[in-house]
Amino acid sequence: MSADHAGPSQGPAARLRRLEGLLEQRGLIDAGQLDRALGAFLARASPANGARLVARAWLDDGFRQRLLADANAALPELGLSMGGGLQEQQLRVVQNTADSHNVIVCTLCSCYPLALLGPSPTWYKSEAYRSRVVRDPRSVLREFGFELDPRVAISVWDASAEARYMVLPRRPAGTDGLGEPELAALVTRNGLIGVAPV
Amino acid sequence: MAELFRVGDRVRATRVDPPHHTRLPRYARGAVGTVTGLLGRHPLPDRSARGLAAEPEPVYAVSFAAGDLFGEGDHTVTIDLWESYLRPAAAESRAKGRSSE
Amino acid sequence: MARINDVGGMQGFPAVWQEQDEPPFHADWEAHVFAINSALIGRGVYNLDEFRDAVERIPAGEYLASSYYERWLRAITMLLAERGIVSEEDLADG
Repeated sequence: MSADHAGPSQGPAARLRRLEGLLEQRGLIDAGQLDRALGAFLARASPANGARLVARAWLDDGFRQRLLADANAALPELGLSMGGGLQEQQLRVVQNTADSHNVIVCTLCSCYPLALLGPSPTWYKSEAYRSRVVRDPRSVLREFGFELDPRVAISVWDASAEARYMVLPRRPAGTDGLGEPELAALVTRNGLIGVAPV
Repeated sequence: MAELFRVGDRVRATRVDPPHHTRLPRYARGAVGTVTGLLGRHPLPDRSARGLAAEPEPVYAVSFAAGDLFGEGDHTVTIDLWESYLRPAAAESRAKGRSSE
Repeated sequence: MARINDVGGMQGFPAVWQEQDEPPFHADWEAHVFAINSALIGRGVYNLDEFRDAVERIPAGEYLASSYYERWLRAITMLLAERGIVSEEDLADG
Protein backbone atom coordinates (compact mmCIF):
# COMPACT_ATOMS: atom_id res chain seq x y z
CA MET A 1 0.00 0.00 0.00
CA SER A 2 1.56 3.31 -1.05
CA ALA A 3 0.77 4.86 2.35
CA ASP A 4 3.49 2.68 3.90
CA HIS A 5 6.18 4.63 2.07
CA ALA A 6 4.91 8.08 2.99
CA GLY A 7 6.01 10.01 6.05
CA PRO A 8 3.48 11.01 8.66
CA SER A 9 2.89 14.38 6.97
CA GLN A 10 2.39 12.93 3.50
CA GLY A 11 0.30 9.77 3.71
CA PRO A 12 -3.44 9.56 3.20
CA ALA A 13 -4.19 10.30 6.86
CA ALA A 14 -2.39 13.63 6.63
CA ARG A 15 -3.99 14.52 3.30
CA LEU A 16 -7.39 13.64 4.69
CA ARG A 17 -6.81 15.88 7.73
CA ARG A 18 -5.90 18.80 5.50
CA LEU A 19 -8.87 18.12 3.23
CA GLU A 20 -11.23 17.95 6.17
CA GLY A 21 -9.90 21.22 7.54
CA LEU A 22 -10.37 22.98 4.22
CA LEU A 23 -13.87 21.59 3.67
CA GLU A 24 -14.90 22.68 7.15
CA GLN A 25 -13.51 26.16 6.53
CA ARG A 26 -15.59 26.35 3.37
CA GLY A 27 -18.69 25.21 5.21
CA LEU A 28 -19.07 22.04 3.15
CA ILE A 29 -18.79 19.64 6.05
CA ASP A 30 -19.20 19.71 9.81
CA ALA A 31 -16.81 17.39 11.63
CA GLY A 32 -19.21 16.74 14.49
CA GLN A 33 -22.05 15.90 12.13
CA LEU A 34 -19.76 13.60 10.20
CA ASP A 35 -18.81 11.67 13.32
CA ARG A 36 -22.43 11.35 14.40
CA ALA A 37 -23.51 10.12 10.97
CA LEU A 38 -20.68 7.60 10.88
CA GLY A 39 -21.51 6.33 14.36
CA ALA A 40 -25.18 6.00 13.50
CA PHE A 41 -24.41 4.11 10.30
CA LEU A 42 -22.07 1.61 11.99
CA ALA A 43 -24.57 1.09 14.81
CA ARG A 44 -27.52 0.27 12.55
CA ALA A 45 -25.87 -1.52 9.61
CA SER A 46 -24.15 -4.87 10.15
CA PRO A 47 -24.17 -8.51 9.01
CA ALA A 48 -26.30 -9.32 12.08
CA ASN A 49 -29.22 -7.72 10.23
CA GLY A 50 -28.82 -10.15 7.37
CA ALA A 51 -28.51 -13.04 9.79
CA ARG A 52 -31.81 -12.09 11.45
CA LEU A 53 -33.58 -11.98 8.09
CA VAL A 54 -32.22 -15.40 7.19
CA ALA A 55 -33.22 -16.95 10.53
CA ARG A 56 -36.74 -15.56 10.24
CA ALA A 57 -37.00 -16.85 6.65
CA TRP A 58 -35.92 -20.32 7.79
CA LEU A 59 -38.61 -20.41 10.47
CA ASP A 60 -41.46 -18.62 8.70
CA ASP A 61 -42.21 -19.68 5.14
CA GLY A 62 -44.62 -16.79 4.52
CA PHE A 63 -41.85 -14.35 5.47
CA ARG A 64 -39.39 -16.20 3.26
CA GLN A 65 -41.69 -15.78 0.29
CA ARG A 66 -42.27 -12.10 1.04
CA LEU A 67 -38.53 -11.55 1.39
CA LEU A 68 -37.88 -13.15 -1.98
CA ALA A 69 -40.77 -11.33 -3.69
CA ASP A 70 -40.09 -7.83 -2.35
CA ALA A 71 -37.31 -7.58 0.21
CA ASN A 72 -37.71 -3.81 0.73
CA ALA A 73 -41.31 -4.35 1.83
CA ALA A 74 -40.41 -7.31 4.08
CA LEU A 75 -37.46 -5.69 5.92
CA PRO A 76 -39.65 -3.44 8.14
CA GLU A 77 -41.24 -6.61 9.61
CA LEU A 78 -37.94 -6.95 11.52
CA GLY A 79 -37.52 -3.22 12.00
CA LEU A 80 -34.92 -3.10 9.24
CA SER A 81 -34.62 -1.01 6.10
CA MET A 82 -32.38 -0.20 3.17
CA GLY A 83 -32.89 3.50 3.85
CA GLY A 84 -30.80 5.85 5.95
CA GLY A 85 -28.25 6.35 3.22
CA LEU A 86 -28.11 8.57 0.18
CA GLN A 87 -31.05 6.84 -1.46
CA GLU A 88 -33.02 3.72 -0.57
CA GLN A 89 -31.85 1.00 -2.90
CA GLN A 90 -33.73 -2.07 -4.02
CA LEU A 91 -32.62 -5.19 -2.16
CA ARG A 92 -32.92 -8.51 -3.99
CA VAL A 93 -32.58 -11.66 -1.92
CA VAL A 94 -31.58 -14.78 -3.84
CA GLN A 95 -32.17 -18.21 -2.35
CA ASN A 96 -29.77 -21.15 -2.30
CA THR A 97 -31.42 -24.52 -2.92
CA ALA A 98 -30.33 -28.14 -3.18
CA ASP A 99 -29.70 -27.57 -6.90
CA SER A 100 -28.45 -24.02 -7.07
CA HIS A 101 -26.04 -21.75 -5.26
CA ASN A 102 -25.78 -17.98 -5.52
CA VAL A 103 -22.73 -15.72 -5.33
CA ILE A 104 -22.71 -11.91 -5.35
CA VAL A 105 -20.12 -9.56 -6.85
CA CYS A 106 -19.79 -6.07 -8.26
CA THR A 107 -17.15 -6.44 -10.97
CA LEU A 108 -17.14 -2.72 -11.82
CA CYS A 109 -16.56 -1.34 -8.32
CA SER A 110 -17.85 -2.81 -5.04
CA CYS A 111 -21.62 -2.31 -4.84
CA TYR A 112 -22.98 -4.05 -1.76
CA PRO A 113 -26.08 -3.71 0.50
CA LEU A 114 -24.19 -1.31 2.83
CA ALA A 115 -27.31 0.23 4.32
CA LEU A 116 -28.31 -3.18 5.69
CA LEU A 117 -25.05 -5.05 6.23
CA GLY A 118 -22.50 -2.28 6.84
CA PRO A 119 -19.15 -2.05 5.00
CA SER A 120 -18.19 -4.94 2.74
CA PRO A 121 -15.08 -7.02 3.44
CA THR A 122 -11.86 -5.89 1.76
CA TRP A 123 -11.62 -9.08 -0.31
CA TYR A 124 -15.04 -8.34 -1.88
CA LYS A 125 -13.63 -5.07 -3.24
CA SER A 126 -10.42 -6.69 -4.56
CA GLU A 127 -9.49 -7.14 -8.22
CA ALA A 128 -8.72 -10.77 -7.32
CA TYR A 129 -12.35 -11.47 -6.37
CA ARG A 130 -14.07 -9.20 -8.88
CA SER A 131 -12.10 -10.51 -11.87
CA ARG A 132 -12.38 -14.21 -11.14
CA VAL A 133 -15.71 -14.98 -9.52
CA VAL A 134 -17.67 -14.24 -12.72
CA ARG A 135 -15.37 -16.46 -14.76
CA ASP A 136 -14.58 -19.35 -12.38
CA PRO A 137 -16.82 -19.14 -9.30
CA ARG A 138 -16.13 -22.73 -8.24
CA SER A 139 -12.39 -22.05 -7.90
CA VAL A 140 -13.04 -18.88 -5.93
CA LEU A 141 -15.34 -20.78 -3.57
CA ARG A 142 -12.58 -23.37 -3.16
CA GLU A 143 -10.21 -20.60 -2.09
CA PHE A 144 -12.67 -19.86 0.69
CA GLY A 145 -12.53 -23.51 1.70
CA PHE A 146 -15.96 -24.19 0.22
CA GLU A 147 -16.07 -27.23 -2.05
CA LEU A 148 -19.48 -27.01 -3.71
CA ASP A 149 -21.05 -30.26 -4.95
CA PRO A 150 -20.41 -30.34 -8.73
CA ARG A 151 -24.09 -31.13 -9.32
CA VAL A 152 -25.12 -27.80 -7.82
CA ALA A 153 -25.46 -25.02 -10.41
CA ILE A 154 -23.94 -21.62 -9.64
CA SER A 155 -25.62 -18.29 -10.34
CA VAL A 156 -23.36 -15.27 -10.12
CA TRP A 157 -25.04 -11.88 -9.66
CA ASP A 158 -23.10 -8.82 -10.84
CA ALA A 159 -24.64 -5.84 -9.04
CA SER A 160 -23.99 -3.40 -11.86
CA ALA A 161 -27.00 -1.08 -11.42
CA GLU A 162 -29.10 0.14 -8.50
CA ALA A 163 -30.21 -3.16 -6.95
CA ARG A 164 -28.16 -4.68 -4.13
CA TYR A 165 -28.04 -8.41 -3.54
CA MET A 166 -27.99 -10.74 -0.54
CA VAL A 167 -27.95 -14.53 -0.47
CA LEU A 168 -30.45 -16.55 1.57
CA PRO A 169 -28.33 -19.59 2.51
CA ARG A 170 -29.78 -23.04 3.06
CA ARG A 171 -30.64 -23.93 6.61
CA PRO A 172 -27.99 -26.35 7.87
CA ALA A 173 -29.01 -29.89 8.74
CA GLY A 174 -29.41 -30.76 12.43
CA THR A 175 -30.79 -27.36 13.43
CA ASP A 176 -34.37 -28.38 14.18
CA GLY A 177 -35.49 -27.00 17.51
CA LEU A 178 -33.09 -24.05 17.43
CA GLY A 179 -34.71 -20.69 18.11
CA GLU A 180 -34.37 -17.62 15.93
CA PRO A 181 -31.35 -16.09 17.73
CA GLU A 182 -29.47 -19.43 17.66
CA LEU A 183 -30.19 -19.81 13.95
CA ALA A 184 -29.11 -16.23 13.27
CA ALA A 185 -25.81 -16.94 15.05
CA LEU A 186 -25.05 -19.60 12.43
CA VAL A 187 -25.22 -17.13 9.53
CA THR A 188 -21.96 -15.50 8.47
CA ARG A 189 -21.26 -12.46 6.28
CA ASN A 190 -19.54 -14.77 3.83
CA GLY A 191 -22.74 -16.85 3.65
CA LEU A 192 -24.75 -13.72 2.80
CA ILE A 193 -22.36 -13.03 -0.09
CA GLY A 194 -22.31 -16.66 -1.19
CA VAL A 195 -18.67 -17.69 -0.61
CA ALA A 196 -19.67 -19.92 2.31
CA PRO A 197 -22.55 -22.39 2.67
CA VAL A 198 -24.06 -20.36 5.52
CA MET B 1 -42.70 5.23 -22.24
CA ALA B 2 -43.21 1.49 -21.79
CA GLU B 3 -40.44 -1.04 -21.24
CA LEU B 4 -38.97 -2.38 -24.46
CA PHE B 5 -38.38 -5.83 -23.00
CA ARG B 6 -40.25 -8.34 -20.89
CA VAL B 7 -39.08 -11.22 -18.72
CA GLY B 8 -38.14 -14.08 -21.04
CA ASP B 9 -36.99 -11.89 -23.93
CA ARG B 10 -33.64 -12.65 -25.49
CA VAL B 11 -31.47 -9.52 -25.66
CA ARG B 12 -28.00 -8.68 -26.92
CA ALA B 13 -25.71 -6.33 -25.00
CA THR B 14 -24.36 -3.57 -27.21
CA ARG B 15 -20.83 -3.90 -28.59
CA VAL B 16 -20.21 -0.20 -28.09
CA ASP B 17 -17.09 0.60 -26.04
CA PRO B 18 -17.73 4.18 -24.96
CA PRO B 19 -15.02 6.71 -24.02
CA HIS B 20 -16.85 7.51 -20.79
CA HIS B 21 -18.27 5.96 -17.63
CA THR B 22 -20.66 3.11 -18.29
CA ARG B 23 -22.14 0.20 -16.33
CA LEU B 24 -21.99 -2.44 -19.04
CA PRO B 25 -19.02 -4.65 -18.10
CA ARG B 26 -16.73 -5.37 -21.05
CA TYR B 27 -17.03 -9.14 -20.52
CA ALA B 28 -20.72 -8.91 -21.55
CA ARG B 29 -20.36 -6.74 -24.63
CA GLY B 30 -22.05 -8.31 -27.62
CA ALA B 31 -23.34 -11.28 -25.61
CA VAL B 32 -26.90 -12.59 -25.80
CA GLY B 33 -28.81 -13.24 -22.59
CA THR B 34 -32.33 -13.55 -21.25
CA VAL B 35 -34.26 -10.92 -19.33
CA THR B 36 -35.06 -12.47 -15.95
CA GLY B 37 -36.13 -9.41 -13.95
CA LEU B 38 -37.44 -5.86 -14.20
CA LEU B 39 -35.61 -3.49 -11.87
CA GLY B 40 -37.46 -0.20 -12.08
CA ARG B 41 -36.35 2.94 -13.87
CA HIS B 42 -33.18 4.86 -13.21
CA PRO B 43 -31.23 7.63 -14.96
CA LEU B 44 -28.51 6.34 -17.27
CA PRO B 45 -25.21 6.68 -15.37
CA ASP B 46 -23.28 7.21 -18.63
CA ARG B 47 -25.03 10.58 -18.78
CA SER B 48 -25.28 11.57 -15.11
CA ALA B 49 -21.56 10.83 -14.64
CA ARG B 50 -20.92 13.62 -17.14
CA GLY B 51 -23.40 16.03 -15.58
CA LEU B 52 -25.89 15.48 -18.40
CA ALA B 53 -29.62 15.32 -17.79
CA ALA B 54 -30.89 11.76 -17.81
CA GLU B 55 -34.50 10.63 -17.78
CA PRO B 56 -35.08 7.42 -15.81
CA GLU B 57 -35.13 4.42 -18.14
CA PRO B 58 -35.88 0.73 -17.51
CA VAL B 59 -33.20 -1.47 -15.97
CA TYR B 60 -33.27 -5.24 -16.48
CA ALA B 61 -31.68 -8.24 -14.82
CA VAL B 62 -30.20 -10.13 -17.77
CA SER B 63 -28.92 -13.68 -17.30
CA PHE B 64 -26.10 -15.00 -19.46
CA ALA B 65 -24.67 -18.50 -19.79
CA ALA B 66 -20.98 -18.47 -18.84
CA GLY B 67 -20.20 -20.24 -22.09
CA ASP B 68 -21.65 -17.32 -24.06
CA LEU B 69 -19.56 -14.84 -22.06
CA PHE B 70 -16.24 -16.65 -21.74
CA GLY B 71 -16.42 -19.71 -23.99
CA GLU B 72 -16.32 -21.94 -20.91
CA GLY B 73 -18.03 -22.53 -17.56
CA ASP B 74 -21.34 -24.09 -16.56
CA HIS B 75 -22.64 -21.24 -14.41
CA THR B 76 -24.84 -18.25 -15.21
CA VAL B 77 -24.02 -14.61 -14.67
CA THR B 78 -26.86 -12.14 -14.17
CA ILE B 79 -25.99 -8.52 -14.80
CA ASP B 80 -28.27 -5.53 -14.16
CA LEU B 81 -28.36 -3.50 -17.37
CA TRP B 82 -29.95 -0.25 -18.49
CA GLU B 83 -32.21 -0.48 -21.54
CA SER B 84 -29.77 1.69 -23.52
CA TYR B 85 -27.23 -1.14 -23.31
CA LEU B 86 -29.58 -3.69 -24.89
CA ARG B 87 -30.98 -4.63 -28.31
CA PRO B 88 -33.52 -7.31 -29.08
CA ALA B 89 -31.77 -10.56 -30.01
CA ALA B 90 -34.80 -12.04 -31.74
CA ALA B 91 -34.63 -9.48 -34.57
CA GLU B 92 -30.99 -10.39 -35.13
CA SER B 93 -31.65 -14.09 -35.44
CA ARG B 94 -33.95 -13.30 -38.38
CA ALA B 95 -31.00 -11.61 -40.05
CA LYS B 96 -28.72 -14.59 -39.43
CA GLY B 97 -26.72 -15.43 -42.50
CA ARG B 98 -26.50 -11.80 -43.55
CA SER B 99 -24.54 -10.61 -40.51
CA SER B 100 -21.92 -12.35 -38.40
CA GLU B 101 -22.92 -13.45 -34.89
CA MET C 1 -12.74 2.80 -23.73
CA ALA C 2 -12.92 0.07 -21.11
CA ARG C 3 -11.31 1.31 -17.95
CA ILE C 4 -9.07 -0.18 -15.30
CA ASN C 5 -11.97 -0.83 -12.92
CA ASP C 6 -13.69 -3.13 -15.44
CA VAL C 7 -11.94 -6.32 -14.38
CA GLY C 8 -14.66 -8.99 -14.69
CA GLY C 9 -13.15 -12.00 -16.43
CA MET C 10 -9.64 -10.52 -16.51
CA GLN C 11 -6.66 -12.75 -15.75
CA GLY C 12 -3.50 -12.03 -13.83
CA PHE C 13 -4.81 -11.25 -10.36
CA PRO C 14 -3.77 -13.36 -7.38
CA ALA C 15 -5.80 -15.74 -5.24
CA VAL C 16 -8.39 -14.07 -3.05
CA TRP C 17 -6.92 -13.27 0.37
CA GLN C 18 -9.27 -13.02 3.29
CA GLU C 19 -8.39 -11.09 6.43
CA GLN C 20 -10.01 -12.74 9.45
CA ASP C 21 -12.30 -10.63 11.65
CA GLU C 22 -11.50 -7.45 9.80
CA PRO C 23 -12.88 -4.19 11.22
CA PRO C 24 -15.33 -2.07 9.17
CA PHE C 25 -12.50 0.43 8.57
CA HIS C 26 -8.78 -0.16 9.07
CA ALA C 27 -7.99 3.40 10.08
CA ASP C 28 -9.85 6.55 11.15
CA TRP C 29 -8.92 8.27 7.91
CA GLU C 30 -10.74 5.57 5.92
CA ALA C 31 -13.91 6.07 7.94
CA HIS C 32 -13.63 9.81 7.44
CA VAL C 33 -13.17 9.42 3.69
CA PHE C 34 -16.33 7.31 3.63
CA ALA C 35 -18.25 9.88 5.67
CA ILE C 36 -17.00 12.89 3.72
CA ASN C 37 -17.98 11.28 0.43
CA SER C 38 -21.53 10.71 1.69
CA ALA C 39 -21.69 14.29 2.95
CA LEU C 40 -20.48 15.84 -0.30
CA ILE C 41 -22.83 13.70 -2.41
CA GLY C 42 -25.68 14.50 -0.01
CA ARG C 43 -24.94 18.21 -0.48
CA GLY C 44 -24.91 17.85 -4.25
CA VAL C 45 -21.26 18.86 -4.71
CA TYR C 46 -21.09 15.88 -7.07
CA ASN C 47 -23.24 12.80 -7.63
CA LEU C 48 -22.45 9.11 -7.12
CA ASP C 49 -21.98 8.47 -10.84
CA GLU C 50 -19.50 11.35 -11.09
CA PHE C 51 -17.69 9.85 -8.10
CA ARG C 52 -17.42 6.41 -9.70
CA ASP C 53 -16.29 8.06 -12.93
CA ALA C 54 -13.53 9.91 -11.04
CA VAL C 55 -12.29 6.67 -9.44
CA GLU C 56 -12.16 5.12 -12.91
CA ARG C 57 -10.18 8.08 -14.25
CA ILE C 58 -7.33 7.51 -11.79
CA PRO C 59 -4.35 6.52 -14.00
CA ALA C 60 -4.30 2.71 -14.25
CA GLY C 61 -0.94 2.18 -12.54
CA GLU C 62 -1.86 4.42 -9.65
CA TYR C 63 -5.29 2.79 -9.39
CA LEU C 64 -3.85 -0.71 -9.06
CA ALA C 65 -1.18 0.40 -6.56
CA SER C 66 -3.69 2.16 -4.31
CA SER C 67 -5.86 0.72 -1.58
CA TYR C 68 -9.62 1.04 -1.87
CA TYR C 69 -9.99 4.15 0.29
CA GLU C 70 -6.85 5.73 -1.20
CA ARG C 71 -8.73 5.58 -4.51
CA TRP C 72 -11.72 7.23 -2.88
CA LEU C 73 -9.57 10.03 -1.45
CA ARG C 74 -7.91 10.52 -4.83
CA ALA C 75 -11.29 10.67 -6.60
CA ILE C 76 -12.75 13.12 -4.08
CA THR C 77 -9.77 15.48 -4.37
CA MET C 78 -9.91 15.17 -8.18
CA LEU C 79 -13.60 16.15 -8.21
CA LEU C 80 -13.07 19.04 -5.80
CA ALA C 81 -10.12 20.33 -7.84
CA GLU C 82 -12.17 20.12 -11.05
CA ARG C 83 -14.89 22.17 -9.38
CA GLY C 84 -12.42 24.74 -8.07
CA ILE C 85 -13.30 23.98 -4.46
CA VAL C 86 -9.96 22.65 -3.24
CA SER C 87 -6.72 22.56 -5.23
CA GLU C 88 -3.68 20.27 -5.09
CA GLU C 89 -1.63 23.18 -3.70
CA ASP C 90 -4.14 23.52 -0.86
CA LEU C 91 -3.56 19.87 0.02
CA ALA C 92 0.22 19.82 -0.39
CA ASP C 93 2.40 19.14 2.61
CA GLY C 94 3.49 22.24 4.54
